[in-house]
Amino acid sequence: MMRARSGWREAARKAAALLPYLAAVAAVFIALAPVYWLLTISLKREVDQFAYPPQWIGFTATLEHYRDAFAGGSFAAYFENSVLLAAISTIAALAIGVPAAYGLARFEWPRQWDHRIADWILSTRMLPPIVTIVPLFLMLRQARLLNSLIGLAIVYTGFNLPFVVWMMRGFFEEVPKEIEEAAMLDGESRSGALLRIVLPLVRPGLAATAVFCLVVAWNEFLFALILTQTEAAMTLPVGIASRVTQYEIKWGAMSAAGVVAMIPVLVFAAAAQKYLVRGLSLGAVKG
Amino acid sequence: MRNVALALFLAAFLLSCSGTPQRSLTIAVNAGVEGTALKAAARQWGQANHARIEVVELPYANLFEKEQLDLTSRTGAYDVIMLDDPWFPRMAADLARLPRDPDSDFVSTCLEVCRHPYKTGAYLALPYVGNAQLFFYRKDLFEKYRLGAPKTWDDVLVAAKKIGEGEKIYGYVMRAAPGNAVVADFMPLLWAFGGGVMEGNRAICNSPPAVEALRFMLELGKYSPPGYAGFNADEVSAHLLQGTAAMSINWPAWIAAMDDPAKSKVVGKIEFSQMPGERDPGVGELGAWLVAVPAGSKHAADAFEFIYWATEPAQMKQAALRGNPPTRRSIFQSPDLIAKFRSYPAQLASLESARPRPRTAEWNEIENSFGIYLSKANDGAMDPRAALNAAADSIQKILERNESATHP
Amino acid sequence: MNRRRIPEGFPWVLPSLLVLLALSIYPLIYSVKLAAADRGNFTRLFTDRLFLTASIQTIVLTIAALAIEFFLGLALALLVDSLARGRMFFRTALLIPMLLPPVVAAVAWRLIYNPQFGVLNGTLRWLGFHTAHLTWTSGESSALASVILVDVWEWTPFLFLLLSAGLQAIPPEPLEAARVDGAGAWRIFRDVTLPLLKPTIVLALLLRAMDLVRIFDQIFILTQGGPGTATETVSLYIYRTAFRFSNFGYAAAMSFVLLAATMLFSRGLLRAMRAR
Repeated sequence: MMRARSGWREAARKAAALLPYLAAVAAVFIALAPVYWLLTISLKREVDQFAYPPQWIGFTATLEHYRDAFAGGSFAAYFENSVLLAAISTIAALAIGVPAAYGLARFEWPRQWDHRIADWILSTRMLPPIVTIVPLFLMLRQARLLNSLIGLAIVYTGFNLPFVVWMMRGFFEEVPKEIEEAAMLDGESRSGALLRIVLPLVRPGLAATAVFCLVVAWNEFLFALILTQTEAAMTLPVGIASRVTQYEIKWGAMSAAGVVAMIPVLVFAAAAQKYLVRGLSLGAVKG
Repeated sequence: MRNVALALFLAAFLLSCSGTPQRSLTIAVNAGVEGTALKAAARQWGQANHARIEVVELPYANLFEKEQLDLTSRTGAYDVIMLDDPWFPRMAADLARLPRDPDSDFVSTCLEVCRHPYKTGAYLALPYVGNAQLFFYRKDLFEKYRLGAPKTWDDVLVAAKKIGEGEKIYGYVMRAAPGNAVVADFMPLLWAFGGGVMEGNRAICNSPPAVEALRFMLELGKYSPPGYAGFNADEVSAHLLQGTAAMSINWPAWIAAMDDPAKSKVVGKIEFSQMPGERDPGVGELGAWLVAVPAGSKHAADAFEFIYWATEPAQMKQAALRGNPPTRRSIFQSPDLIAKFRSYPAQLASLESARPRPRTAEWNEIENSFGIYLSKANDGAMDPRAALNAAADSIQKILERNESATHP
Repeated sequence: MNRRRIPEGFPWVLPSLLVLLALSIYPLIYSVKLAAADRGNFTRLFTDRLFLTASIQTIVLTIAALAIEFFLGLALALLVDSLARGRMFFRTALLIPMLLPPVVAAVAWRLIYNPQFGVLNGTLRWLGFHTAHLTWTSGESSALASVILVDVWEWTPFLFLLLSAGLQAIPPEPLEAARVDGAGAWRIFRDVTLPLLKPTIVLALLLRAMDLVRIFDQIFILTQGGPGTATETVSLYIYRTAFRFSNFGYAAAMSFVLLAATMLFSRGLLRAMRAR
């Protein structure tokens, strides 16, 4: 009798210990179910997409929507634009922003100017896009850069620049000054020391920063929506959005494009996982 | 070695960018049924003329914005645009004038909206899609319940009640999503009850007949599916196609789908007729799609050549066979097409009597405000009279604001 | 030392400053010019009922989403932190919604919400619930809540991630000391964990609030502001005013209200970052 009771108690305790896991699994289910559903729609034949009851598993899979969207379809062009744009704007933001970060982290500035400049730079990042979009549109129009990857790349560079400065400034500050001072005593110039000594030391941070810029450019929607007009410059998010509101929505092709759009982001995020917190908090929380 | 490969790649890339000079047209069309025919025509024209054709398909909600930005900035991104006729007064200032006037085979209501000012001015567009609202109803159910064809809105209400209760389906279905949708479904009622939106520069959409019309719309709403205050055209058509609703106002572009066994459960059961009347005879709303050449186009000569070609009788007949409602009388009356499209006589009659939306450059903003309050009334969030008073108030403000200010 | 000498680091910073002047400050000045061209633009702000509605809804959305995301994020962070095993797995899996392109996330939710064909109502119906009245984003009364739900789904991971990092950074000593003093779990959380977590909380809330007041992408795809004005927000109304009604001046005037709100948050944010 006693044994049975303590056995029951044991089981209850074990069950209680499992509860947190159940809750965590439920949370993961909620987080992933919409993504999974999008994936299934992209793989289902049209007749099954909206079948009742909903087919969560065990449907006939097909790749026709991926072929539809990308082989010869506009999405191939959008994809190419997105890739080029993310690459160009990231490289530009790094090229301009890394020296600034170094300058703020390494030199003596009178009256805390380094902090003031850094704060000002960060505050430009906080401008809501909708505030600057109208003037930017009119400016690009004057420069004849509407509907061009270059025009959009310029805008994205400005968007990512503050982020690069803040992230890299933090990474540079973590490198002891003495290392480059020693190199400069050995006859290296300042920029030589930066290129050959310091940058290799902050390589992981640099990579993480680049990844964040890539993701921001890849995901961006509002600027791309307004500043592009044809396939010459439309990006994947704009392409996907432009298929959403029409009468007969091609859910399959759109979902396929959505799945393709999210894969690079997930890969990049996995690569930069160590720096995720730091990147998402604009460098404020040092991981 | 790697550098050489890179250089070659770059060179190839640059070459592919510059390309060889050739004729090219960029065409902005509505994504969906209305754009299909023009898209096909553009491809055909491109092949025949060795021209590079780019078709930019945009959803209705964003097409206007894209085109408007291109027009006012004269960016020249698009050589041909497809536009909904209520946008025309707003866009007219930035459209290129047609090199020659269109012939008189086009239905006159469609031609009138291509002129700026309305009816009298220069031609700035050609009508491509001859859309005017029709009344769709289930003929089989009307016969089953011994109901005559609906001539007035009172007939519609009686039928909605009878069929709805008898068949356990929705007697009527309408769309009352804010913006274009709810306004389009309300206008025929408003006109039939003798009301209007504006008179000159005065908002009159809260006049007694208008309030009556809106009350009537809510009455009909009782026989509509729940949530209809969020419906758009696709939901309305889905209910008709699935046989879950018996009547609605709809556009000719959907006729083909109703008789297509792959999409419809009601093949051959739907009758398409003219709009019911009430105090005034019934008129449908004109929703013609026009083709025009932006003043900023860098290929205007080719663009004009294309739009004249696409609206010729021969081409329009081909487009009609692809399901495009024509704008030419001769196409509507051609016997072989009537044999194929049983609704053509009704379509032509409705198109010839159709009424366009008020010809004002501010229509988008007015429709937006009007739609918000109509949708709120349908949703039960506002009393009909209060909703129309609020709508009139905000429309009046829009009219006054734009009377004094000129647009940049 | 010459005080007027240009700081040595200045040339390094100059290109960035120029780019940002051209792409942020010049547009702002341009906006002022656009808005000030007609004084009516500013007076209209106070009489425009739609702008008022949009502002109120933006505030409601921001506060509601922020509160829910914070409590859920904190609960999840504490939950996962308490697990003996699989922490890494849960931490990674729970982040995914936040990483998706916002457009893709919104598209997925359109597939889910559709009252007739959506998987949400489909699954509920299959489980035996009545779904005829569940119109989600297409119902006037439920649309804003549905949009908030999507935001909660997408961004709770952000709060979760930051708060998790904050929890991990708490040194074990004060917790031990409290335990030795015989404090219960709730007391420890309230008196030790929460105060130590506060800087992270403030930072996370400010970052999130700044994104919420400018929310655009998800709503643009989900509802375009409808039905009625049920999900109209300030960003969307500015967009419509500029690009649909072609009134750039009034759009610029409204955007300054948004800017003011953002500046309020960003000052707090900079102070919070400094405090760390």
